[in-house]
Amino acid sequence: MKRLPHRSVVVVGAGVAGGLISRQLALRQIDTVVLERGGDHQGGAEGRLPTQRDELRWDIRTGLMQDATKETYTFRRSRNEAARPMRRLTAFLPGTGVGGSGSHWNGQVWRWADYNLALRSRLAQRYGAAAIPVDMPLQDWGVTYDELEPYHDLFEKLFGISGRAGNLRGVIQPGGNPFEAPRENPYPQAPLETTEAGMIFEETVTRKFGYKPFPSPAANSSGVYVNPDGMRLGACQYCGHCDRFVCEANAKGTPDLLLFPWLARQPRFELRKHSQVLAVDHDSVAGRARGVRYLDLTTGEEYFQPADAVVLAGFTMTNTRLLLAGGIGRAYDPATGTGVVGRNFCYQANSGLAVFMPGRWINPFLSAGCTGTIIDEFNDDNFDHTGLGFLGGGYIGVNVGSGRPINTRRLPPGTPRWGSAWKRANADWYAHTFAVGVQGSCYPHRENYLDLDPDYTDAFGQPLLRMNFDFRENEQKLSAYCTAQAERIASAMGATLVGPAAPRSAPFDARLYQGSHITGGTPMGADPATSVVSPRLQHWDAENLFVAGASVFAQNSGHNPTGPVAALALRLGDDLVRYLEKPGRLS
Amino acid sequence: MCFSPHEAGFVEALVDLMCPADELTPGGVECGLAIFIDRQLAGAFGRGERLYLQGPWRPGRPEDGYQLPMAPAQYFKHGLAAAERACAQLHGRDFAGLDMAAADLFLQAVAGGKVTSGEVQLDVWFNETVYPLFTQACFSDPVYGGNRGKVFWKMIGYPGLPAVNGLNMTKYRGKPFPGAAAPLSMEDFS
Repeated sequence: MKRLPHRSVVVVGAGVAGGLISRQLALRQIDTVVLERGGDHQGGAEGRLPTQRDELRWDIRTGLMQDATKETYTFRRSRNEAARPMRRLTAFLPGTGVGGSGSHWNGQVWRWADYNLALRSRLAQRYGAAAIPVDMPLQDWGVTYDELEPYHDLFEKLFGISGRAGNLRGVIQPGGNPFEAPRENPYPQAPLETTEAGMIFEETVTRKFGYKPFPSPAANSSGVYVNPDGMRLGACQYCGHCDRFVCEANAKGTPDLLLFPWLARQPRFELRKHSQVLAVDHDSVAGRARGVRYLDLTTGEEYFQPADAVVLAGFTMTNTRLLLAGGIGRAYDPATGTGVVGRNFCYQANSGLAVFMPGRWINPFLSAGCTGTIIDEFNDDNFDHTGLGFLGGGYIGVNVGSGRPINTRRLPPGTPRWGSAWKRANADWYAHTFAVGVQGSCYPHRENYLDLDPDYTDAFGQPLLRMNFDFRENEQKLSAYCTAQAERIASAMGATLVGPAAPRSAPFDARLYQGSHITGGTPMGADPATSVVSPRLQHWDAENLFVAGASVFAQNSGHNPTGPVAALALRLGDDLVRYLEKPGRLS
Repeated sequence: MCFSPHEAGFVEALVDLMCPADELTPGGVECGLAIFIDRQLAGAFGRGERLYLQGPWRPGRPEDGYQLPMAPAQYFKHGLAAAERACAQLHGRDFAGLDMAAADLFLQAVAGGKVTSGEVQLDVWFNETVYPLFTQACFSDPVYGGNRGKVFWKMIGYPGLPAVNGLNMTKYRGKPFPGAAAPLSMEDFS
């Protein structure tokens, strides 16, 4: 193994978090190297017409995603089961390559309601401490929304987010999300166009229910845009190939378009692609990370990269796995509820139902990743849970983001699965259906956690991460409740047919895509007994080791995670500048 | 190509049953559906690309996803042979030799888990492997061999490529989209 020259900062992963942290460091010309296991998607078949528009290759066969033969995950629903590997990665889709999952994402950028960062305190105050189930280890994050607001603002400007403000400096804005945390500035760009289905939803919820619909906040660029770094976005072409695809029109805010080309021009920045990080080298006596060991996939040679500060900014699962494999911090033990690494692993309880409207031209192919119209009345703690028997909720909305024909065909229940009648139903309904969806929250459960699998290994001989997860009573109840609200709304639209409503339920089904918004495993917090990193994302047992990304979330919300991921990453970038100037525990 | 003559006959009979010639499309073989399935299984997908094939092997329930130590092409053929054995037992002939009505009932029984054949779970085989290949054959870009002449895209009104809809988004919102009548595939651009 070759030892490389010492660097100030080494960052694992060139995704949203790694890119934003590096930007803040580069502004101060701090010596930084980013290690990324994959290559660059820009300019390849995945990023050029006509090959970009290939549903079979990029969507169905998941051509841009992590290759399960190299690394996958095992899963089991309870501790007395033997785990099985996800032999195909379909339930969630980690990306690989420059941009990470932020390259193939749809682009919803939310500011979560401010109370989400102190959810235990909020719920205990509103319903009494006894209302929080004993097997739900909710905890506060140790950071307030006010501290993050400037970083949300900066991220929205860097990625040119399109949307309509809901709460401008405490004043609720018409047409925006009234539950939004207060923002200093409006979104930098106007919202995307509303789809036909979105208009149907908007009219129904406004007129019949008095809810407040608003356009989904989007990293799909509604216009031509230049960000504060001088990086450009084109205008979205509503092509319907966003999630799971690279945008060939340069109209989707992604790290590979907006951050890494800018970083490449900065004097003390280096990106090393095709570099598979194998381990964090850790001195447990000194409480320090020495650096990282990685494999150069282009030569097969192993390197050791020493650094003053090590930042884990991989996918949710990667951060947890590197800490567990390195024995850094105490592994979580569900039997006793003690230990920290792997705890508070959360998914999302997403669901939906189809709406069939023969008289309306929905034209699902005229859409972008975030052409959604949404209400937040039933999300998280935006409504009174007294007597409901669960905590949490979800947004309800109509996200028409694709008309790709292999996967986006809805047929009335009872339609034959083949033959002339099947074809006729496809012909009749393709352009005239959409779904009302719920993005449901998921709060931690004592038995939902990550650990290392004792039996299965990856292509590099290292243990796979094991996901211990099922949808527990709380998520099943909230999904039943929110899906019933969605059904009530759908039934009021004047549709010929609605349904069937399918709330998320157990057992966890590894075959179904349920969103890639998995969180936790290295939660942040003020108490080292229940968190892996401090509120400054500094590892409690190694002061020069930092963790960024959705793995630090203490719980998941009914909103997409990228907004808080980005705000926390930008703040960590600034904190690292302080740390390097004066190493020690950050406060 | 990976099918024996007998396997090809089974798949051709299958796609002609699942996609009969009618006013909407020609028959499945003529639409290229059998060719599509053969090419997919002969290629990277059939050989197990992106499929984690390390042990230990633990059979599971359907919700656990694919858990067999076989690449998809092998599994497809293994299931096909098992389906033929069941067909011979029930009807005394090959699947390709059944009339349309009998073949349809047999396939419904397979899909519904009502036909057993030794150790092979035929419903899982059909629902998780065969059926997805069938719908992919219908609706993929014709460059892969199925959906010949873009018949399925025309049938549903999917405009295909290049789908640059910056202006169309508002112009055709809530209205029939003219491009849906003449879809374009990747082949039209190469």
